[in-house]
Amino acid sequence: MSVTKVFGLFAAVFAIAYTIAFEWHWELFSYHPRTGEFGWGQQASKGGPVMHWYGAIATGFVAALVASLAALPFTKTRSLPLWLGWGVPLACIILWGWLLRGFFLR
Amino acid sequence: MTTFLLIMHGLMAVALLGGLTHQAFAVLWPTRAAGGFTSAYRAVSAARFTNAIITFYVMTFVLGAVIYPPYRIAVRTWIERARLWHISGLFEYKEQALAIGLAMLPFFWLVWRNPKDESMASARKWTTAILCVIVWYSFIAGHIVNNVRGLFGQ
Repeated sequence: MSVTKVFGLFAAVFAIAYTIAFEWHWELFSYHPRTGEFGWGQQASKGGPVMHWYGAIATGFVAALVASLAALPFTKTRSLPLWLGWGVPLACIILWGWLLRGFFLR
Repeated sequence: MTTFLLIMHGLMAVALLGGLTHQAFAVLWPTRAAGGFTSAYRAVSAARFTNAIITFYVMTFVLGAVIYPPYRIAVRTWIERARLWHISGLFEYKEQALAIGLAMLPFFWLVWRNPKDESMASARKWTTAILCVIVWYSFIAGHIVNNVRGLFGQ
């Protein structure tokens, strides 16, 4: 059982979980840069901008870690496809272009 | 302090860009003979760049994350008021791509661990190319945003 065998899965699950977290507001926490406050989950504005990026990264990291640990026993007998490590992140990066199209089409 | 960190962030990005571009050229367009400039540029031991690339990526990312709040307060707010949506979108895309790229780094390390392993040749090329495009895009997008309202944007 080698941890390195799940590195591709980690990248794939992070990309998916991070994208979902951002789109469906499943951030673990939010940050209010004007006041320096953190709050759990999606937070409303407190008289200034709210940052969800850190929280979305945390969500992606936790999801990727859990999925990787869960998959670890299965890698004893079979190996995961290598394309998971680059194909899924690439697909998510392309998807982000679509999700953010509103910025460029106004 | 933010200006100092922003400059450090930019300098590290330059180092990252150099290493990653070198590696990408070497793996996507390999050559054995180091005759002219382009051949010499590609004829490097690409695997030796891996740890430096990972280190610079993480350091640049962390510095970017540290200076993100001042950007969010002083710069992005101004960009939105000026209705420069495409500029804001450039940065939005940068942050998403870089976060996804960050999680690819362990896999990137894995595919470069043994550069003679032919079973990973395709994954090695794709991973390196994707990271190279992410870093180049982010560098240019960051530069544009900085030119719009970066240094002393408070």
